[in-house]
Amino acid sequence: MPPSQLKRLKASLREQGVVGPQQSKKQRKQNAQNGVSKEKRVHKKVALEGIREQFNPFEFKLAGKAPKFEVTTNRKTSAVVRRPGVAKGLAEERLARAYEEDVQRRKKVGGIVDKRFGENDPTMAPEDKMLERFTLEKQRRHKNSSAFDLEDDLMPGELTHMGQSLSLNGPALKDDFDEKDLELSDEEDHPSDDEQTRKRRRSSAGEDEEDEEDDEERPERKKSKQEVMKELIAKSKLHKYERQTAKDDDEDLREELDLEMSDIHALLRGAVPRSQPPPPAPGPGMNPDRAAFLSGTDKGKLDKDYDLGLRQMAQDKRSQPTERTKTEDERIEEGSRKLQELEAKRQRRMEGAPESSDEEDATANDGDEEEEDFGLGSGLKARPTAAEIGIEDEDDFLIDDDLVASGSDLELSEGDSLLTEEEARRPEFLTGANGPLPEAEIPEQNGVNGDLAYTFKCPQSHEELLQITKGVSVLDLPTVVQRIRALYHPKLNSENKAKLGKFAVSLVDHISYLANQPQQPPFLILETLIRHIHSLAKTYPVEIGNTFRSHLQAFGESRSLSPTAGDLVILTAIGTVFPTSDHFHQVVTPAILTMSRYLGLKIPQTLSDYSTGAYICTLCLQYQRISKRYVPEVMNFIENTLCVLAPTKLARLPGSFPYHEPKASVRITGTSKSTRRLTIYDCEEQELSGDDQTSLKAALLEINLSLLGAAADTWVDKSSFTEVFTPASKILQHLSSKTCRPTLSPITQNHLTKLTQKLTILLKNAHMTRRPLELHHHRPLAIKTAIPKFEESYNPDKKHYDADKERVDAAKLRKEFKREKKGAMRELRKDAAVVARESLREKRERDAAYEKKYKRLVAEIQGEEGHEAKAYEREKEWRKKGKK
Amino acid sequence: MPGLVKASAGSAKRKRSSSDKRPSKRARSESSEEDGQAQILLLENEIFESKKNYNNVATLIKILKTDSEDADDSVIAAISLCRVFTRFIVAGDLANKKGATDQEAVVVKWLKERYTEYKNSLFDLLGEEGISATALALCMRLLKTEGENTRTQEYQFPSSFLTGIVQALVKPESDANARKEFSENFVEEYDDIRFYTFEAIKRVLEEPRSTASAHQVFDNVFEILTTIESVPESEEELEDFYIPAPKKSKHPLFTLTKHKKRAQDAWYALVTMDLSEDQRKSILKIMSTSVAPWFIKPELLMDFCTDSYNAGGSTSLAALSGLFYLIQEKNLDYPSFYQKLYGLLDSEIMHSKHRSSFFKLMDTFLSSTHLPVVLVASFVKRLSRLTLNAPPGGVVTVVPWIYNILQKHPTCTFMIHRVTRTAKGKALLESEGLADPFLMEEEDPMKTHAIDSCLWEIVMLQSHYHPNVATLAKIISEQFTKYAYNLEDFLDHTYGSMLEDELSKDVKKVPVVEYEIPKKIFSKQEEGAGMEDSLLVKLWDFN
Repeated sequence: MPPSQLKRLKASLREQGVVGPQQSKKQRKQNAQNGVSKEKRVHKKVALEGIREQFNPFEFKLAGKAPKFEVTTNRKTSAVVRRPGVAKGLAEERLARAYEEDVQRRKKVGGIVDKRFGENDPTMAPEDKMLERFTLEKQRRHKNSSAFDLEDDLMPGELTHMGQSLSLNGPALKDDFDEKDLELSDEEDHPSDDEQTRKRRRSSAGEDEEDEEDDEERPERKKSKQEVMKELIAKSKLHKYERQTAKDDDEDLREELDLEMSDIHALLRGAVPRSQPPPPAPGPGMNPDRAAFLSGTDKGKLDKDYDLGLRQMAQDKRSQPTERTKTEDERIEEGSRKLQELEAKRQRRMEGAPESSDEEDATANDGDEEEEDFGLGSGLKARPTAAEIGIEDEDDFLIDDDLVASGSDLELSEGDSLLTEEEARRPEFLTGANGPLPEAEIPEQNGVNGDLAYTFKCPQSHEELLQITKGVSVLDLPTVVQRIRALYHPKLNSENKAKLGKFAVSLVDHISYLANQPQQPPFLILETLIRHIHSLAKTYPVEIGNTFRSHLQAFGESRSLSPTAGDLVILTAIGTVFPTSDHFHQVVTPAILTMSRYLGLKIPQTLSDYSTGAYICTLCLQYQRISKRYVPEVMNFIENTLCVLAPTKLARLPGSFPYHEPKASVRITGTSKSTRRLTIYDCEEQELSGDDQTSLKAALLEINLSLLGAAADTWVDKSSFTEVFTPASKILQHLSSKTCRPTLSPITQNHLTKLTQKLTILLKNAHMTRRPLELHHHRPLAIKTAIPKFEESYNPDKKHYDADKERVDAAKLRKEFKREKKGAMRELRKDAAVVARESLREKRERDAAYEKKYKRLVAEIQGEEGHEAKAYEREKEWRKKGKK
Repeated sequence: MPGLVKASAGSAKRKRSSSDKRPSKRARSESSEEDGQAQILLLENEIFESKKNYNNVATLIKILKTDSEDADDSVIAAISLCRVFTRFIVAGDLANKKGATDQEAVVVKWLKERYTEYKNSLFDLLGEEGISATALALCMRLLKTEGENTRTQEYQFPSSFLTGIVQALVKPESDANARKEFSENFVEEYDDIRFYTFEAIKRVLEEPRSTASAHQVFDNVFEILTTIESVPESEEELEDFYIPAPKKSKHPLFTLTKHKKRAQDAWYALVTMDLSEDQRKSILKIMSTSVAPWFIKPELLMDFCTDSYNAGGSTSLAALSGLFYLIQEKNLDYPSFYQKLYGLLDSEIMHSKHRSSFFKLMDTFLSSTHLPVVLVASFVKRLSRLTLNAPPGGVVTVVPWIYNILQKHPTCTFMIHRVTRTAKGKALLESEGLADPFLMEEEDPMKTHAIDSCLWEIVMLQSHYHPNVATLAKIISEQFTKYAYNLEDFLDHTYGSMLEDELSKDVKKVPVVEYEIPKKIFSKQEEGAGMEDSLLVKLWDFN
């Protein structure tokens, strides 16, 4: 328990020395003499004051909470003790004063308000006042000055000449004042108007003495800041000017040297290409080049020459070591390595891995480069190489020199063939002399009729191509294409590249056109054309790809379920020109989708439909020969066809393929005598005699069995091989059953038996190798972690944290508004209270004065009355007495 | 215009003066063939003038009936007769008055007979193209007049007249335009007309007729009924009346159930007809949206639905949605529903054009997590088996569905991940291989052993020729991080849409070209080249 109030008072009094042991008389006397007692009295007063305050519980207000340690908070700790009473008193006083002022000014109009700083402040010394006024003035000016204010002499970008200011009232005149003989008469060398006025005011204020004192001190005084700055600026400008002149000198020197550059060039190159005319005769004793330069006439030309020379130098080929001629082994090795690389790339594409960036660069690059990339041909693994290398120079594609050489001096700057390196190095590229083509078909002589032209226009569209080939035998077409390619080789002319691109596009159109012709051109021609397209596709992949795509589009839109021979040839060409094993390919994917659409949606009715389907199935399987992707439609189609062709109907359809019985039965009814294979033209609608039909049916059955075998080979490793091929094997069983077998030809029967055996073995293998699926050996998923989000403006002092900034702002605003409103209301209330109090006080005063006056008057009157009454009384008394 | 009728003489005069003007005007503008029309108007006016000229009614009807080449005449006659009879009805000339003399009764009777005759010929006109719209308008006008005026105290709807109209409209040879007009502008608009049309349809359908005409009648009735789209939901909605509504608030016209009852009867009469498969399908298609909501007792539809469902093929597919409605809303208990549903999964379903709607429903049916896992597994396995022969669109639908199901029934994930743990089991696998325990032929989804099988089919589809399908199939073997796939995104893919999608993209990247130019494409490889002939060359003849 704390000590009582009284005890505490006593203790503090003692502490302060207000009360203490009594002093002797002597001591007191001494103290009084020394003045100690006087001091003590003052001290005592102060101490008492302190103690009084200390013990008044209402005079102080302590903070609600203990102050925090400074390290924990970034807020300024406010004063620990506040004095509400004092503050209130002060505020009230201020208000009262303001009210008074108000009252004084009430009902008064006009008047001058002195706004000079400190004018009404009696506490300020005149010096302070002046200092304050000066700073204020400076500040005001500083604030208002803009970059374009010409009057301001402190402006950084003032006008200069030779590094010196041009302003008349600025530092330009400083030079004169800098002279030592002239003493400055003023504090500032060039006071502005304001300052002058101020000075005047000051002098009028009678402070001349001080000024004089200052004047004397001036020379030793430190320079003002302004002066220092000005000096600095002038100095830097001088330096700048010096640098400028130095640079100009350098420039001159360099220009001189530049003029001699061409001479040096000539010396370096050893030749003197004096193409420019001799310069006009120079003046005596002057460098001619310099004269020319000075005259300025030759300047443009000079620059041009210089640029030209520079570019030539940049393009000069450095001497490079030639590549050592490689031995055969090395070449083979290199070739196989490249092949492996290409194969690896293909594999990656097959798996659908995204191409790496450098690969993309390679493909995006020029065709030539790519051809270099694709350097050596193919098939090294599979083919004996010696033969290939041996026949290198016999490429038929190398046209006789005189074919192109005549009249063209641009010819063969590289001393090589006209064709790309790749083509030159690829003997197998076109049908060579030792090719399998019969001589009669593609004659070595000039065309079939011996009158084939040597030069052709490069066809830019399919119509032009038709125009050109109008009079040309179909058999000569490869020669024509070959000659066009040679004539318009990209290396001959820069425009040829675009031309050949269009030619390639028209070739693609042409193969489908040719196949659609009723005279049915030999497939060797188509083959050669496709190979030409393939070779062109390496240079023009985008153009050719787009053409194929547009063919597919036209096919899909207009005749998706009735393809022509041309469409089939296009699909075949796509299969050879583009890598069908890719996971996704811009041309191949739509192509296979188109094919599967036919197989899936077409309900075959005639034998030709079945032939078309079989051809497309063949293509599908060939597309998938490497990647071995599953095409459900192929199986559906083969199974359906087998069921439909079977001599008798199956009692129960195995599997779940959609079965479509055609309107007119196509079942095999009898053995055909002739065995034939299908051709692409069987796919076209045609009338057939009974015999032909029988043989066609037999061929269809045969081909479907082969397709089934090929499909089984392709998909043997798939996980659902059993499910896919069990129905097929059931159909085969049906075909070899007693009801069907006799109607089939012996060859087919043989084929059937072999295929059945093969399927049985494969199915058995599949059964043996099948394992339960274990797809989910994944690493267990980790629980998701999230990096904690730090709030930059988070403040732990605040009670409520809100992440929504808008809401926070709104709340802040609301709070501020409330606070302001409260404050304003309090102010108003206080004002009102002051006004009320003051007016009440005034009223009281007035009342009191009135009362006083009243009383005075009453007293006066009463006094008078009393006097009169007394006089009357006296008179009366007197009269009474008198009467008596 | 009752006032006008009472002052009959005066009004007739006025009428005449106005109608006298018309023919003269026409005579000026048109040629002499207008004589017939003028004649008709003259006859009409004479009827109004005096009762003696009532015989003109018969003449007019005769003009109306004569199949003259001048069709205008009969139309004009019909119009003027309409005016005449309207006037008669309004004046009450067609009703037996109290205290009328015998002669008057005879006249009334005679007029009534003529009126019936007139109506019949109007019904005939309904079947004729061109005039049918006018005839319908006249019929409806008369119907209104009759309804407004013949009632004595009680509300009375001329339902026999309406039946006549409906009968004429659903006749096999009736005009389609009139039917359309009738159903759109009257039946759909007015509650009372709809009410009595339902009644009339029911009555019409109950008449016996030959099968050929029955099919036509079905189509016509179906057309009328399908135009009625808005099933009233509360009694407040019943407020559009063609003929002023009865004053009694308890009249059946004001009760929703009575309305529904009539509609139900009409539909039921239609449904119980001898229907062809296409008709069945067309009803089933709108079953849940337009038919079933009318029914107070949807149980009546159950037979129809279950019969259709049992019919198999695409009819069952169509019946599925109706059945679903009944099961969901009306608590229909369909025994062995799932077995039937399982039975629908045959080789056709993947190629059917109803594929997407079927999958939508099937997804709903199998969405319950309370279904036995064995059953769900059967569905999963069977569908994956079917994908082996499915077009890419079908595969794309099935795979995400399987994913969703596997997420919902974690026990089913044994179908994609089953580790053989015992050494014995491993040895057995080595020595004897593995046969798929799933029984494709089993019809009961509870007995297929699908849960013991694995989804090898989906794994095979991971190497589907279409890159997107292959990638989609791979979701099964990746970690199941996604909660579910939205099936809607995968339902409507076809060859066409996929091809369109591929071909509409611009070629941005340079297409890769096969690096090796094949030596031979259509011809055989050289002897000793060491290259095998391609499949194409082996199988096809290119010489």
